[in-house]
Amino acid sequence: MQDTEIRPAAAAAEGGRGAGAGRGLPRHWPLMLLGAAVAPGLALVLVGRTLEEPAVQAWRTVCLAVTVQALPFLLLGTALSGAINAFVPASVFSRLLPRRAALAVPVAGVAGVVLPGCECASVPVASSLIGRGVTPAAAFAFLLSAPAVNPVVLTATAVAFPGSPEMVLARLAASLVTAAAMGWLWLWLGREEWLRPVARHSGHRPGHSRWTEFRRGFQHDFLHAGGFLVVGAMAAATFNVAVPRSVLDAFSGSPWLSVLFLAALAIVLAVCSEADAFVAASLSGFSPVARLAFMVVGPMVDLKLIALQAGTFGRAFAVRFSAATAVVAVVCSAAIGGVLL
Amino acid sequence: MKRFAQVGLLVLAGLGLLHTSLFTDEYLRFVKEGMRPLLIASGVLLVGLGAAEAWPVRRGDDGDDPVHGDDPVQVRGHRDGHADGHADGHGHGRSDGDGDGGQGDQDGGHGHDHSRVPRVAWLLFLPVLSLLFYAPPALGSYTASREPAKVVAVQEDDFDPLPAASPLPITLTEFTQRVQQDRSRAIEGRTVRMTGFVTSADGDGWYLTRIVISCCAADSTTLKVRVYGTAAPKADTWVTVDGTWHPGGALGTSSAAVAVDARNVTKVGKPSNAYMDAVPLG
Repeated sequence: MQDTEIRPAAAAAEGGRGAGAGRGLPRHWPLMLLGAAVAPGLALVLVGRTLEEPAVQAWRTVCLAVTVQALPFLLLGTALSGAINAFVPASVFSRLLPRRAALAVPVAGVAGVVLPGCECASVPVASSLIGRGVTPAAAFAFLLSAPAVNPVVLTATAVAFPGSPEMVLARLAASLVTAAAMGWLWLWLGREEWLRPVARHSGHRPGHSRWTEFRRGFQHDFLHAGGFLVVGAMAAATFNVAVPRSVLDAFSGSPWLSVLFLAALAIVLAVCSEADAFVAASLSGFSPVARLAFMVVGPMVDLKLIALQAGTFGRAFAVRFSAATAVVAVVCSAAIGGVLL
Repeated sequence: MKRFAQVGLLVLAGLGLLHTSLFTDEYLRFVKEGMRPLLIASGVLLVGLGAAEAWPVRRGDDGDDPVHGDDPVQVRGHRDGHADGHADGHGHGRSDGDGDGGQGDQDGGHGHDHSRVPRVAWLLFLPVLSLLFYAPPALGSYTASREPAKVVAVQEDDFDPLPAASPLPITLTEFTQRVQQDRSRAIEGRTVRMTGFVTSADGDGWYLTRIVISCCAADSTTLKVRVYGTAAPKADTWVTVDGTWHPGGALGTSSAAVAVDARNVTKVGKPSNAYMDAVPLG
């Protein structure tokens, strides 16, 4: 019965076969028995050999590193989202945010300052905000700005670029402008039907223990987002191992290509937003504007975030939203970087 | 995902994090030392969540037992199973029963879908089991050989005079700075001692290497010092090298070769925190 829930189709097929076996031994049963005895061992040896390859080991290390690094922040984010869902009445948000959606967007973007942590935490929180009646545009502005403008990340940026406070300022400005622009873009072009209904964040229901609601929501969101985190970590690890860093030098010459290239690199590397300033600082062959683009795009769009968003809001949304965000973020960082840096 | 699978996953994930951060120091293969308290707290929290889920539920609190799914996919799953010979009707009957005996506020089955933990959550078992039973080693020569040498930070102040010790224990970062930035050429003729692992190089010599990370192993950068004068030990061996600067380029400028002529190479144990550019002990 367990399989029925995991994958209905497979379970159905197995059920059929099980019924057949019940009537008598299948043909060639000694062969099948032999196969059953040998195949798993053989597979184990082959898989074991492959896992010891240096490239596969490096892949496993990077994949686990991304997962282990993100898990505490994912827990923080899902706990917050569970708490918002269970303990905060919807009226709080309607009182805190301006009634006009166009005004709520920048306010929510600036409110991103209060969520310390990296981008994994912001996706579940944004999802629960939408569930509590916050207009999606404002929640998305929060989703985009929170990982980039919080004090932890800005401090890390200041440490990574000693003696150039304008880099911190440029990062703050470009991230806020991108977040607000994406919020307004959603108001203008966004369609509700791209969003998967977030019915599960139904808030507190009378007659239920708030504590159990909190625990259940927390647990559900964590397992859900955790699975997608693993997908994203695997994708990021693949690029990390498959693309040697020496490729970078080929692109550092041209100013425009280098901006686009570092933005693309931020997407595939999926470095957490608290560390990306150090990575950007180490990419010393590139122009400051290109490095700014790396730090603005990274916390907003990357493989693990796309996977998390696809899981939380649905694939139709994640694809459109990430593509648009990447374009807006590159334009904003080029414009602001051009003025400030 | 069934309830016992959720419990198992939560508890295993918690134990995996505790194993890697509290009982061993394997977490240092993936992240920085400062993550330890966060990892331990997360591990405890996950075990706690799993235990709370496993605890027998009190009546009235619980409308969303994961077994009693009311999402369409799951119900379809039950029906398929039903059609294919699970004639007891157990699963289906239970989800009906939940609808009848529920808390009376199931507006169309919404609001109760915390049971809908998607299949993708099963993927979490991979890193969790890997952490518990089959942790990969820290990044080594494979990664180092594919990365260009890290550009070390520019020392803003003047360099302090070098200590008198000989051989002089020094980090790969400081050696690189001294060779490429110290105009006083204090490193010239000095015997230095550095520890790192071996990465093979094209041409003459080999690299003494350290991989350093700023947050996790995904953002690793590599420090390399080329070693001349001895045959290359096996890749990934940790060694301590005593040697003097290998002349090449103008010392004190960026043209200077980051290299040593080795006098003595000894094998050492692998440090537990491999991603920190530390001075050799002793």
